[in-house]
Amino acid sequence: MTEAGPFALDRTATGWTLRLLGDWRLANLAALDAALAGHAWPEAGPLCLDGSALIGLDSAGLMLIHNRLRAAGVAWPAVELSGFDADHLALIRLVTDRLAAPAPTPPARFGFLARLGERVSGAAAELPGMLALLGQISEGLLGLLRRPAGFRMREFFVQLQSVGLGALPIVAMMTFLIGVVFAYLLGIQIEKYGANIFIVDGVSLAIARELSPMLVAVLVAGRSGAAFTAQIGAMKVTEEIDAIATLGLSPIKVLVLPRLLAIVVAMPLLSFFGDLMGVLGAATVAASQLDITLHTFFTRMRDVLPLDTVTYGLSKAPAFAVAIAFIACRNGFAVSRDARSVGERTTATVVTSLMAVILINALYAILNPAL
Amino acid sequence: MSTVLEVAAIRTVLAGQRLHDGVGFKVNKGEVVALIGGSGTGKTVLLRECIGLLRPESGQVRLLGESVWDLPPDGLDALRRRFGVLFQEGALFSSLSVAENVDAPLREHTRLSQALRDEVVDLKIRLAGLPPEAAGKRPAELSGGMKKRAALARALALEPEMLFLDEPTSGLDPISARAFDNLLRTLCDSLGLTALLTTHDLDTLWGMVDRVVVLHGGRVIADGPVAEVARIDHEWIRSYFTAHVAARGTADGNGSGNGIRG
Ligand SMILES: Nc1ncnc2c1ncn2[C@@H]1O[C@H](COP(=O)(O)OP(=O)(O)O)[C@@H](O)[C@H]1O
Ligand SMILES: [Mg+2]
Repeated sequence: MTEAGPFALDRTATGWTLRLLGDWRLANLAALDAALAGHAWPEAGPLCLDGSALIGLDSAGLMLIHNRLRAAGVAWPAVELSGFDADHLALIRLVTDRLAAPAPTPPARFGFLARLGERVSGAAAELPGMLALLGQISEGLLGLLRRPAGFRMREFFVQLQSVGLGALPIVAMMTFLIGVVFAYLLGIQIEKYGANIFIVDGVSLAIARELSPMLVAVLVAGRSGAAFTAQIGAMKVTEEIDAIATLGLSPIKVLVLPRLLAIVVAMPLLSFFGDLMGVLGAATVAASQLDITLHTFFTRMRDVLPLDTVTYGLSKAPAFAVAIAFIACRNGFAVSRDARSVGERTTATVVTSLMAVILINALYAILNPAL
Repeated sequence: MSTVLEVAAIRTVLAGQRLHDGVGFKVNKGEVVALIGGSGTGKTVLLRECIGLLRPESGQVRLLGESVWDLPPDGLDALRRRFGVLFQEGALFSSLSVAENVDAPLREHTRLSQALRDEVVDLKIRLAGLPPEAAGKRPAELSGGMKKRAALARALALEPEMLFLDEPTSGLDPISARAFDNLLRTLCDSLGLTALLTTHDLDTLWGMVDRVVVLHGGRVIADGPVAEVARIDHEWIRSYFTAHVAARGTADGNGSGNGIRG
């Protein structure tokens, strides 16, 4: 006779008896498994399972016995039961019946190369969806030209308010502070050469050409781009998009076009507002640190800042806007029906739009070398 | 027979409206009890009060020997390991596979190795009547009936002593609904589970339930075996049991107002 804690294995005249002694429940499963694993099983012979000394038994404990016996070559129907009460017999019948079908082969874990391939093919699979959305948006815009009354004016103004008006305070603060910091740093250098007045040239060019449009684009991508994706994605999850389609409305017309046009209208305005606030910030520093009065500052600016530069800076804004709106809406529609996907797509919107903004900015610089 | 759940003198006020006005009933070990009542009578709310999710205005809930609303937070957590809940919409974690959903409570509350947990997860998925291949699927890829079964597998993960189910057969076709009823009855009988469920499904009542508790006007107006309750001469009960066609399989719209309100 061998004894190992929760069970005892006895040789009988006809074969073997496995007596269950302890508490065969989930809480003890790890210990039970260890006890079973450290035990040598008899080669063959009929097995009798004895439950007369059991303290407790649940489905997990029973599964352990079943699976370990099966691994040792003792198939279940061949096991004889004795000493179990009626409740345990019912449990045994159910569990062994359900476990009778063979275990499924676990899915193969993918290696690095396979994962890489999956990512690449996943990225390539995005392309048709993007092209389709592009086509649908173009079609929607053309439809709008033919029938302007179909435009969702209300939704457009709601979006315009949240994209444009809602962003004013943060745009004001950011561009003003960047103007202050930029003028301050430039001022320290310029002062050494006694060329104080040139602060106006440097600051106004940089803000109008690069800083304000870029800053506004970053802010809008983070605020409104993320919001577009999350809104459309959540509507996708709750099947609201399908509801819109079944009501005979076009999700493009109802959701995408108002957002696209709102952002295209709002971003140049925000950029111009950013120009003003940035220059104001710089002028404040110039007045207090470099002895340049506001009057001198703005007179000088009129001479050195060509209108072309300002319009060049502002002309980037609609391009940024189209890119952000398109990426955001595409990601919104690409949300699959689970909660994590909304988060993943929202992150993707922000990252991809920022990359797109920087690329477009570089493209503008290359195409307009004279400015 | 020992009492597993005892609800006494529950009063609930939600959004300024009196929902329960002294509700009380008991559930004994091994019983399957159905809570019925019109839409908006507060069945779901009562269930949430039993499992410690929503505190009633006043009243007592004794569950598995503990007074739910007098327990310290860690005591409530320990109690929660001893019962399973099936929410109306399943409430599966949408970003996890079925197997990961069932594994979640095991991972959190036991110290089993991954290999051993995998075995337990496989067992629970089989017990819930799902094919083992369903383990790798996401909830979004499952049919309504399979979702309920996956949620049931998760509710069974920690070997609970009691199950709470909110409209387990709503949204299922009659065949799947009966199959789910049978599964539930088999599980309760074989695993020694006690169950409290809310339902609108008359076939569930007649087919698998030991006792019915009728909630109406903020009170329990009847409590007993289905055959007895169905004979009670009360206006709402009579229309409920005669409205077979209208009531069969209707989902519970919260406060949609097609039921009688107290
Ligand atoms: N958290 C809550 N706050 C306010 N009112 C609620 C809340 N939950 C439910 N209710 C209201 O309580 C009433 C009962 O709801 P419920 O228990 O879901 O009914 P049912 O019996 O159909 O399950 C409904 O009118 C519902 O609107
Ligand atoms: Mg409900």
